[in-house]
Amino acid sequence: MSAKAHKHHDPVGRVEDARLTTGAGTYAADWNLPGQLYAHFLRSDRAHAEIVSVDTAAALKSPGVRAVFTGADAVRAGHVKPMHTLNFPGKGGMQTRAPERPALAHGKTRFVGEALAMVVADSLSAAQDAAELVQVEYRDLPPVISPEEALAPDAPRLHDRVPGNLALEAEVGDAAAVDTAFARAAHVTQLKVEVTRVAPNPMEPRAYVASYDARGDSYTLHVCCQGITTLRRHLSAYTGVPEEKLHFEVRDVGGGFGQRTPAYPEHCTLMLAAKTTGKPVKWVSTRSEGIACDTHGRANIINGALALDESGKFLAMRLDWVNDMGSYLSPASMGHIRNTSTCMTGVYRIPALYATYRVALTSTAPVSSYRGAGRPDIAYVVERLVSQAAAEVKMDAAELRRRNLIPPGAFPYKTPTGSTYENADLPGLLEKALRLADWKGYPKRRAQSVKQGRLRGIGIATVIENTGAGQAAKDEVEIEVDATGKVTVYTMSKSQGHGHETTFATIVANALGLPLERVTLRQCAPEKQHRLQGNHTGGSRSTVGAGSVCHLAAHKLIEHGRALAALALAVEPSQVEFARGEFHTRESKRKVRLGDLAKSGPVSVVAEAKFGSTFPNGCHIAEVEVDPDTGAASIASYCAVDDIGTVINHAVVEGQLHGGVAMGAGQIFGEKVIYDRDTGQLVTGSFMDYFMPRAGLLPAIRGAEHPTPSRVSPLGVKGVGESGCTGSLPALGNAVMDALRPLGIEHLDMPLTPAKVWHAIQDAKNKK
Amino acid sequence: MYALNYVKAKSVQEAAEFLAANPEAKLLAGGMTLLPTLKQRLARPTHLVDIAGLPELRRIEAKGGRLVVGAGMKHHEVATSAVVKKAIPALAGLAGEIGDPQVRNQGTIGGSVANNDPAADYPAAVLGLGATVVTTKREIAADDYFQGLFTTALGEGEIVVRVEFPLPKKAAYCKFHHPASGYAVAGVFIAQTAGGVRVAVTGAGPGVFRWSAAEAALAKGLKPAALESAKLDASGLNSDIHADREYRANLVRVMAKRALAKLSGKK
Repeated sequence: MSAKAHKHHDPVGRVEDARLTTGAGTYAADWNLPGQLYAHFLRSDRAHAEIVSVDTAAALKSPGVRAVFTGADAVRAGHVKPMHTLNFPGKGGMQTRAPERPALAHGKTRFVGEALAMVVADSLSAAQDAAELVQVEYRDLPPVISPEEALAPDAPRLHDRVPGNLALEAEVGDAAAVDTAFARAAHVTQLKVEVTRVAPNPMEPRAYVASYDARGDSYTLHVCCQGITTLRRHLSAYTGVPEEKLHFEVRDVGGGFGQRTPAYPEHCTLMLAAKTTGKPVKWVSTRSEGIACDTHGRANIINGALALDESGKFLAMRLDWVNDMGSYLSPASMGHIRNTSTCMTGVYRIPALYATYRVALTSTAPVSSYRGAGRPDIAYVVERLVSQAAAEVKMDAAELRRRNLIPPGAFPYKTPTGSTYENADLPGLLEKALRLADWKGYPKRRAQSVKQGRLRGIGIATVIENTGAGQAAKDEVEIEVDATGKVTVYTMSKSQGHGHETTFATIVANALGLPLERVTLRQCAPEKQHRLQGNHTGGSRSTVGAGSVCHLAAHKLIEHGRALAALALAVEPSQVEFARGEFHTRESKRKVRLGDLAKSGPVSVVAEAKFGSTFPNGCHIAEVEVDPDTGAASIASYCAVDDIGTVINHAVVEGQLHGGVAMGAGQIFGEKVIYDRDTGQLVTGSFMDYFMPRAGLLPAIRGAEHPTPSRVSPLGVKGVGESGCTGSLPALGNAVMDALRPLGIEHLDMPLTPAKVWHAIQDAKNKK
Repeated sequence: MYALNYVKAKSVQEAAEFLAANPEAKLLAGGMTLLPTLKQRLARPTHLVDIAGLPELRRIEAKGGRLVVGAGMKHHEVATSAVVKKAIPALAGLAGEIGDPQVRNQGTIGGSVANNDPAADYPAAVLGLGATVVTTKREIAADDYFQGLFTTALGEGEIVVRVEFPLPKKAAYCKFHHPASGYAVAGVFIAQTAGGVRVAVTGAGPGVFRWSAAEAALAKGLKPAALESAKLDASGLNSDIHADREYRANLVRVMAKRALAKLSGKK
């Protein structure tokens, strides 16, 4: 379908926004069931300790208390083995060592905030009061916070089954080829960088209501999630309850970012409580619980080296990763290795690549996918190396990129780590971005900043990432038409604010030639949960996958309807044409509307497909100013040129990019989860100490599209949900380093806080 | 939050009597500090005595060389008051930089002054301008009122009614926002008053304090160079993950210089 065909359905706003911005959304905490009880979790205040005893006697006697659950109950229920997806062949045949995780800690606690006990009572305050009466006796053990220290030979061991706290060691690429290339390099750039541990902090805190139906021995969970199919698979594996006995209710979701994908211990314990008490049980997380217990993101330390020849051509790259996975493996922990190796070469022709990964367990909250899930991490490493190399060989950072970009004629491009990039016009993208950002005019702007007593830097990042694909066997979409002509589309993907109700309805409305308001999207509808398969929404895949199947389903509906219309019109199907929601014959003026076909009951079709990876790419250019007196950096300008294939709705796409860029800016300038190194206490436990990006952090983003439509799916789309993050981490990091490099500062790790930058400036001054 | 009783006071007098009879009761005005404390179960008052909106606490007027701000005035009201903007524009500016719009439309000057958070903005203005805190029992000079970390001269059951600011010749405030919370990492209020130059610092230490070395240096002339060499002992300053002592000391000096530049009409 051409881009032009979508034009008539590109509303300025999104169809869901009236509901979401006027308080009419239904979030997980909005559910209340008759007779429901309230759960409150008692959480560990130790980072690493033996649990000698948990005495619940006093709590059980507290007014209004119905039940108290502990680790022993979780173990008895069999809730001990969460799924994990770290299914990569390890180095030397090593298998992933996945520790057990009782849904309530048993025997040992391994991070501050881990749930130890759950009190269920008639009211929340009764549950909270009783939780204070639970007596826990600990025997403290030394925690280990830094993943590098966790891998050291004398580190405290966190799990009996995980010697050396090493969950997996893996490698990709060709070590020998890389060694050979480095040996003949004219220049080698080396950089050790940290992609810091951050707390995703969706606006909606986690909330669940679990109920149990004894007749069917089944459960219904009201949840906030990114799609029920993956959650159901995780939860079934964790609890042993068959998938067909798990039902979900999910309406509006206030942000996910990967953190709302996995099954959590709280899901399991609420199910246990619902079954035990026979009542629905509700739990709503506080913000501080969310920061402490919901999965964190990123948390990688990378030693990188890039080899160049005399002309600046890249010869090889070598990366050594330490991936901090926290205390347990989350069910969605694979991205750190899969995505960082899929796009290891970035947008460049680098003939030889080799990376090692050591996955470490630490006394911290588990780490999982977070907007990009490794994609921003690898982009950050590669792009920081490239800009650092440019500075070292004294070449313009754009020119060094120009010399190494994969040329358009080389696509589909098979990378040395085995993935195949579909298509891109990288030189065109680069030149468009350089023009948009007025790269040539930068020295003048820098001079102006210097005149005002500020440092200025420009940073460029040219990035590519894998989107689409997914672990589900296929994406299925059902389209149903009723007698009034109303079209309902059912997907298993689930918007968490992405605007699927706009984008997917547009795809179907375009295909059927109907006005947008005639098409309604229903996501993860209870009555379809055990009929339709599909991926959850994550990995920037939903428009590529479910969105494309919406298109196929609409066309399937047309073909199905054509046969029915032919009967009604008493002609051969081949004589029936379809336009604007109506079937008609070429000769007569008789028409059959879609709704007419549903007079004796709704007409529906199910379409299915499985699509592979698409490779959106982009060039982001940022300029920053640094106040040398305070160390405060501010973004002076931000330009983003992105190739995300065909665009269905420009407002939705811009929203995704802006959000992604803002999240990247947050991580570069302030976000970081900090644990005390000695005690393992969480230091950034609330928004008083945990930095979140605010609107004022970003100026207006100047954006442009540079589409090379994908042929992976019929829509030509590529994913966009994570692109902003992938581009902004390196662009902003490079910009600040560019501002500081003239002072003799070669490297600083994110977050580039005012205090850190100021100290670096002082140290540089003192060295001179 | 623990279960507690809520009482809506009809007058300041009634609130004071209630506090006297119930020693574990707490006053509720904007609740910007109290409510989070309650939610985290860090305080367990028997009662909340709501004084928000009491007419006696809601006045702003300039008379007899003083600006009077009732304890119940919200930050947004002070920030946008024509009377405040005319009398002490630096005070209006300070109020407009507190927290975010939600906080500014809920929090009150009385609450801020009574709480004396070491990183709050208002204490810098109250001390910097040499204001008087008027309570249900007495008038307290700012120099006597602030006594360090969350500590004031207020006695049990004593309620802040209003703050009276003597009008300065000139005044300016400069603040470096805490990256996460938006509070002052360092905020410096400089005022040229009838009694000389006063320099009050918030955010940097365990409580708002006067930087006497800077005051002495500026007494000889409002020159930025004077601040460059004014002695500032970093050892007593706050140190945390966002700003260590050395950095805070630097920020105090930089914010002071910028406040001085504002005072002199530069920038």
